[in-house]
Amino acid sequence: MTAIGSGGAMGTAEASPPPGPFGITERIRRNWSARSGQERLGLRLLLPIFGVVFIVATIPFILAVVRALTSDTGAFVGADNFSRALGNEQLYESLKETAIYGSLVLPTEILVGLGISLLIHRTVKSPVIRAIIYVAAMIPIVIPQVAMGVVFRLLYIPDYGLINALLGQTGHDQFLWLSNPPLAIFAVASVDVWQWTPFVYLVMFAGLQTVPPESVEAAQLEGAGSWAQFRHIALPYLRPLLLLVIFFRLADVLRVFDHVYVLTGGGPGRTTEFLSLYLYRIAFRFFDLGQASALAVIVMAFMIALYTLISRFLPADTS
Amino acid sequence: MPRIVKRILVWAALGATFVVFIFPLYYLVATSLKTKAELFQAVPTLYPHQPTLEPYFSVLITRGFLGLLINSVIVGASATAIAVAVAFAISYPITRLPVQRGMRNFVLNWALSLRFLPPIAVVIPYFTIVRTIGLYNQIPALVLVYTIFNLPLSIWMLKGFLEQIPAEVEEAALVDGGTRFQAFRLVLLPLAATGVLAAGVIVFAFDWAEFMFAFILTATPQSMTFPVGVQGLVTQFEIIWNDMAAGGVIAIVIPLVLMLFARRYVIAGLTFGVIREK
Repeated sequence: MTAIGSGGAMGTAEASPPPGPFGITERIRRNWSARSGQERLGLRLLLPIFGVVFIVATIPFILAVVRALTSDTGAFVGADNFSRALGNEQLYESLKETAIYGSLVLPTEILVGLGISLLIHRTVKSPVIRAIIYVAAMIPIVIPQVAMGVVFRLLYIPDYGLINALLGQTGHDQFLWLSNPPLAIFAVASVDVWQWTPFVYLVMFAGLQTVPPESVEAAQLEGAGSWAQFRHIALPYLRPLLLLVIFFRLADVLRVFDHVYVLTGGGPGRTTEFLSLYLYRIAFRFFDLGQASALAVIVMAFMIALYTLISRFLPADTS
Repeated sequence: MPRIVKRILVWAALGATFVVFIFPLYYLVATSLKTKAELFQAVPTLYPHQPTLEPYFSVLITRGFLGLLINSVIVGASATAIAVAVAFAISYPITRLPVQRGMRNFVLNWALSLRFLPPIAVVIPYFTIVRTIGLYNQIPALVLVYTIFNLPLSIWMLKGFLEQIPAEVEEAALVDGGTRFQAFRLVLLPLAATGVLAAGVIVFAFDWAEFMFAFILTATPQSMTFPVGVQGLVTQFEIIWNDMAAGGVIAIVIPLVLMLFARRYVIAGLTFGVIREK
């Protein structure tokens, strides 16, 4: 994209690599001098740093695979760890809870976030109020999830928690939000919804700004109703953003850890022990690093497959 | 339904949503300003009747969380500086110099793909590496991990900022007889400074908020970060809700203030540049 010719002052004096025995370095050398000075400068700046970063970031993945194939003493055990990981019934309970959590939070966040963005886009015209909402919606994104765990503890715990206190005061029974199995998952999901619905709102609201007002006016003149306007005019602009949000949030459900750890620690029983918490327990409570590594490799393989599948919808590169 | 009634209903719904949304944060701040005596009332109060900063003193000084706060700042500042510097060194050639498309796309896709991997998947190898090289319970271990984890985001944010600077400004410097390095230092760098700062602020906020790795890789207050300390308050001293709330407020205030400075870039950063605020 930067079409600067080879006129740069740097990159004119090149030290060519010495010729190698099998003509390979010779070919590299010819290839190298065929590039413009600017291009060589670019590669010379990029490759050393990116090379180091790539290696440093890749080593842990390789180590995870190696660990998954070996025992505690380092002996090769083949698929043993994998069969233990996949044979553990608790894995499937954890996956089930993770799926329930995902199906609670994702539709809620997306529908509510989208709904609010449409409402605000249509109703609130004052730039000042829009700016206040913009900043307020950004608050949950940047604050630590551990702190959110603290906030919702203050609301949910028995006796002292505000919700229970209000229920008690009005003569109702308390709800054990965090220690009653069917309620606990709603309690931890509510934190997720609180934290990420505003993110969906921000993305959708930004998307609505790109809808040309002329099309909306034209549709209104032709008497299109609210739903028709949304369905045929706004939605085409929002669709790529919706996909993006769904993929980001889907990946995030698999990394849910902090606020659940603070609120329930995975309990009661294991009803809020989502995938990350399950893996944590296998690795750092049972110290079964082999089984945990095998599971980590499976999760990685799954995410790589998912990423390959969805990457063409992502902002790969535009220029 | 008349138009005006509809409008009032919509505004009421939006207002109610806003109150429900902001209330938890309000209640956290209110609790953090309560006295111990007020905590032991049978019914929790909605606002502090005798506001006091004592819980903040208690958390920071008596419990020694000031040390954790300093650890968090050191870890966050170091990891942010390294991540942004390295990301700049990678983004500069792929946006400002004619690097082949294939190479450029490889770097960007590699970075983007890292965003989708759950950190728990690599926590065991990092744990093993950190133990092996003797960095367990040491601040540099967290700096290393946070640097790697925030590189993808940093690369994408800086790529977005650098792309927006027209190529002509550097070309003009070159035509005027400047070297590429001069064009970089005197023309591009000042123009890119805002973007670099914004990226730094966002990355720092994420480093600040990180919990899982800090929890697994540290063991004592010597290297613990602030969120780990706050989590410890929750499980051990459940009775002292005001201290716990004060810890929560401190954990929230710092990224919040930073975010206000970088507010125009937060969404662009989080969506890898798909959304650009004007």
